[in-house]
Amino acid sequence: MAVNKTVQSKIWVFTEQRQGELAEVGLELLGKALELAHPAGWKVASVLVSHSLENGLCEQLLSFGADEVLVAHHPLLSSYCSQPYAKILENLIREHNPEVFLLGATAMGSDLGARLAVRLRTGLSAHCIGLELSPEKKLLAVVPGWGGNVLARIYSPHTQPQMATVMPGVFDMPQEKKTTGRIVAVEVNLKPEDVTYRILETKREAIQEHALERAEVIIAGGWGIGSKEDWQAVENLAEVLHGMVGATRPPVDEGWAKENQMIGQSGRTVHPKLYIGIGISGEMHHMVGIKGAEMMVAINQDPQAPIFAQCDLGLVADFKEIVPQLIGSIQNYHKTKQKDDSDLSH
Amino acid sequence: MDFKLSEREELLRKTMREFAEKEIPPRMEAMEETGEFPVDLLKKMGDVGILGVITPQEYGGTGMGNLARIIILEEMGRVCPAIPMALQVHHMATHALNKFGNEEQKKKYLPPLAKGATMGVVAVTDPSGGSDVAGIKTSAKLEGDNYILNGRKCFITNSHVSDYWVVIARTGEGGRGLSAFIVEKSFPGAKPGRKENKVGLRGANTGELVFQNCPVPKANLLGHEGEGMNIALQNIVEAGRPGMASVALGILNAVLEQAVKFANERSLYGKPINTLQAIQWHIAEIYADLEISRLLVYRVGWMRDNNIRSDTESALAKQFACEAAARSARKAIEIHGSYGIMKEYPVQRLLRDALVTIPAGGTGEIAKLVMARHALGMFK
Amino acid sequence: MQIIVCLKPVPDPKHWHRLGLDPQTKTLIREGIPNIINPLDRKALEAALRLREKEGGEVVTLSMAPSSAMPVLREGLAMGADLSILLSDLAFAGSDALATSYIMATAIKKMAPYDLILCGNQTLDGSTSLVSAQIAEFLDLPNLMHVSAIEAQKSRVFHVRSQIEHGYMLVEIKAPLVLSVAKEINEPRYITLMNILEGEKKEIRVWSSKDLSLSEPWVGLKGSPSQMADLFIPEAKKKVEILQGDPSEMTKTLADRLHRMGYC
Repeated sequence: MAVNKTVQSKIWVFTEQRQGELAEVGLELLGKALELAHPAGWKVASVLVSHSLENGLCEQLLSFGADEVLVAHHPLLSSYCSQPYAKILENLIREHNPEVFLLGATAMGSDLGARLAVRLRTGLSAHCIGLELSPEKKLLAVVPGWGGNVLARIYSPHTQPQMATVMPGVFDMPQEKKTTGRIVAVEVNLKPEDVTYRILETKREAIQEHALERAEVIIAGGWGIGSKEDWQAVENLAEVLHGMVGATRPPVDEGWAKENQMIGQSGRTVHPKLYIGIGISGEMHHMVGIKGAEMMVAINQDPQAPIFAQCDLGLVADFKEIVPQLIGSIQNYHKTKQKDDSDLSH
Repeated sequence: MDFKLSEREELLRKTMREFAEKEIPPRMEAMEETGEFPVDLLKKMGDVGILGVITPQEYGGTGMGNLARIIILEEMGRVCPAIPMALQVHHMATHALNKFGNEEQKKKYLPPLAKGATMGVVAVTDPSGGSDVAGIKTSAKLEGDNYILNGRKCFITNSHVSDYWVVIARTGEGGRGLSAFIVEKSFPGAKPGRKENKVGLRGANTGELVFQNCPVPKANLLGHEGEGMNIALQNIVEAGRPGMASVALGILNAVLEQAVKFANERSLYGKPINTLQAIQWHIAEIYADLEISRLLVYRVGWMRDNNIRSDTESALAKQFACEAAARSARKAIEIHGSYGIMKEYPVQRLLRDALVTIPAGGTGEIAKLVMARHALGMFK
Repeated sequence: MQIIVCLKPVPDPKHWHRLGLDPQTKTLIREGIPNIINPLDRKALEAALRLREKEGGEVVTLSMAPSSAMPVLREGLAMGADLSILLSDLAFAGSDALATSYIMATAIKKMAPYDLILCGNQTLDGSTSLVSAQIAEFLDLPNLMHVSAIEAQKSRVFHVRSQIEHGYMLVEIKAPLVLSVAKEINEPRYITLMNILEGEKKEIRVWSSKDLSLSEPWVGLKGSPSQMADLFIPEAKKKVEILQGDPSEMTKTLADRLHRMGYC
C-alpha cells in the first residue's frame, strides 16, 4: 500500500460519509479531538473512506481544523461494506500507529469500530457520552450503563490504539477556521470478493406515527397555553417534529385536548426520546407519566415553575414568542434536507 | 416444607404477567363501562393454555394443576380482577366435568372449553338463596329420555357468554334430592335472562339463566341422581373458593403496587409521604394482608395438587383473602387522599372489585361456619 | 437451516431501582434482582423460530453467563429453541466486549456447521452493541446490524433490511453470516403453558473453558483490553440548562440543538 507522505497525527477521527454526505458526528468528534490533542501536543487526522478522492469533502474537513485528511479511496468502496472498510483502516492504523481512534456511534461507526477493534485486538469504549485524556495521555471514555442510571470511565491500559465511539449530539459542532492542514491520499488494494454484501436499495423514509406510549417525540401543552386557539401552536409544533401531542389535565378539562392525550398518573405513561412541555408547571402527577426521556425541554413564563428543576433544557419565556419562530426554523431544516435528498443519486 | 415456587411456576408467573399486561389494559375501559367480558380475548387465552390449566392433556388441557391455576388467576387479577372472576368460574365448570363426567361427556365438552370456543358456567344459586343449597327449587323431572328443567338461576357469572352450563336442579326431596346436569344454551327452553349491573368486577358478566320446560337428555346427567349437593360442595371447595381467593390475591397485588407507587411519588411538607409513619403503617398492613393471603391460597393449591382434602383451608383462604382485599383497598384509598375517590384513579375500582368478591363464590358467613365446625372438633 | 441465537440474561429493568453501588469494590450489587432474556435477544430468537418454521432446521441458543442464568435459558427453550448451550466458567467473569466475543466465537466454531448467527443489537445493561460485529470479525464472517427484516432466498442467500439513520438499506448477503436485530423486527410470541412443559424436556448443555480451545489471551477480567477506571451514579438532580438571551436567541439555540440531535 503506497502512502504519499508520512502521517503525523496521533488522534484519528473516522469522518463518516454516506453517498457523498458527511455525517455531522464526525465533525463533532473532530472538534473534540482538536480540544484533546492540543494540550497534549498532538495533531489530529480525519480519516475518509470513499470511492474517489472527494476533494469537496476534504476541503470541508480541513476547514473544520483537521491537521491531516487521510483519504483511502477505491472504486469498490462506493457503498459501505464492513469487511473491506475494516481491512483498509486496519492496515492504515498498523502502518502509522495513532494513539486514539474515534468514530461516531452511528449505524456505520458502531459496526465498523467493533470489527476494527477485533482486528487490532484493542479495547473500544462504545456509545460514550464524554471523552477525557488522562495525565498519562490515555483516553478516558465516559459511558452509560444500566440504562443511564450509572456511569463508568473506561480505558485500555495495555492495547493500542485507544478506540471509542460517541453518540451524535454529545459534542458541539466546531467552528470553521482557516485551513492549514494537508490532504494525504492513500491508495488501496481491493478485490471484488473483498466486498461481502451488495446493497440493493437505500431508502430514507418519513417517521411513522405511533401510539402516544410509543411516540419518540411528544409535545405536551398545559394550563399555560391559555385558550383553544392558542393550543394550535402545540399541534403545529408536534406536526413539524413528526411527534404526538400530549396534555396535562386542565387542557383536557377545557376541551383543548382529548382525554387520551393526557399524560400523567391518571392518564398515559409515555417514553419519549424528546419531550417538550409548553405552559406546563411540572406538577408531580403529570411528570410521573414521563419515563426516561433523553431530552426534556420546558417552555414556561414562570421561572419558579417546578418543571425547571426537572428538565434538561429550560426556556423561561412566553411560548407565543418561541413556538412560531421555532416552527419556522425547523421547517427550514426540513427544506434543506429535502433538497439534499433530491440531489442524491442512488 | 418448601415455601419456594418451582422454576416452572416462576416461569409461568412471568409469562402470565406479560400476557396480562399486554392484552388486558386496552380492553379495560370498555369492560368498566359496559360490564361485558371481552370475548375476543377468549381464543388467545385458549391458545396460551389459561382455560385448560386443570383439564388433563387428553382432553385438550395441560393438566398443570391447581397451584398453576392460582398463579394464572393472580397475575390476571393484578391487572384487572374482573378477568379472573370470569376465568375462575370457567375453571369450576371444567373441574366439575372432569371430576364427575363420564368419558363421552368429557370428550364432548372439555376440549372446546379448553380451546376457548365458549366459556363455562356452574349455576347453583337459585333465587331462594345461594347459601341455602338444600333449598334449591329449580326442578328436573324425568320424562322419558329427558329431564325437564324449570326454574331460574341468578347471580351466575359468564351467564351470557357461555354455551355450556353445569346446573344443579332438584330431582327428589331434601338435600339428597339434587342432581347436576350439563345444559347447552342451544337446548329449547334454556336461555340467559336479565343481566346484572354490578358495582365492581365489571367485565365479568353476571346474570340470570332461565329454564322453561327445557329438555335435558339423560346422557347429560352429570354423575348420579342425588349426587348434586355433593358435586356442588366439592366444586366450591376444590375450585370455587380457591378461585375467588385468587381473584382477591390479584386485587391485593394491585392495591399494594398502587399504594406504594403513590406513597413514593406524592410529596407533602416537602418530602414524599412514604416518610410519614402513618403511611408506613398502612403500607405494612397491606403488605401483611397480601403475604398472609398468598400463603393461605397457595396452600390450598398445593393441597389440591396432592389430593389432600381441603374444606376448611379453602373456606379460610376465601374468607380471609376477600376481606383482606377490601380492607387493604380501603387503606390504599386513604393513602391517596382525595385522589383516591376520583374515578380517574384506579384505586377506587379496586375497592369496588373487592366488595364484589365478598359474597361471590360463597359468603364469608358460610365460610366461618365451616371453620367453626372444624375448630370446635379439634379439642374436647 | 442451522441457526445459533446469542442470548444474554440481563437484570430485570423493573427492579433496577433496587440497584446499589458498592463503594469499595466499585461493582454493582446485583443480589436479589431477577434476570430476564435481553429483550432484543428475545426478538432474535423469535426471528430464528420463524425462519425455522419456514425453512426447517434447528435453533440453538448460546449464552455466556453464570449457572444462575439457567432459568432464563429454560425460558428460551420454552419459547421454542431446540437446545441451549451455556458457557460458564469463573475464568470468564469480568470479560469486556472483546473477550466475550472471542469466547463466544470460539464456542461457535465448535458448533459448526451453521448458516446464521442471530443476536440482539444491544443489551439493556452495559449496552455496548459491539458483540455481534466482533463475533463476526473473529469468525471472519459478513455481518449486518439494526436488522428489521430477514428473508431467506434460494442457495443460502438472504435479503436483509438494515436500519440506518432516517431510513434503511436492503442488502443481499450470503450465509454463513451474523445479523443483529433491532426492535422493529418482530413481536415475540407468548410462551404457552404447553411450551413451558415442552421446554423442560430439552437440554441445557454447559461448557467451561476446558471444553473450548481458547488459544488467545482474551478471557476474563485480566484478558479484557478495556478496563474500568471508575464507576459512579450520576446525581439524581438533573443538570438543567436554562437558556440565556432574548426569546429569539433562545429559539435559535433550541432549534439548532434539535437539529443536531436528529429531530429535524
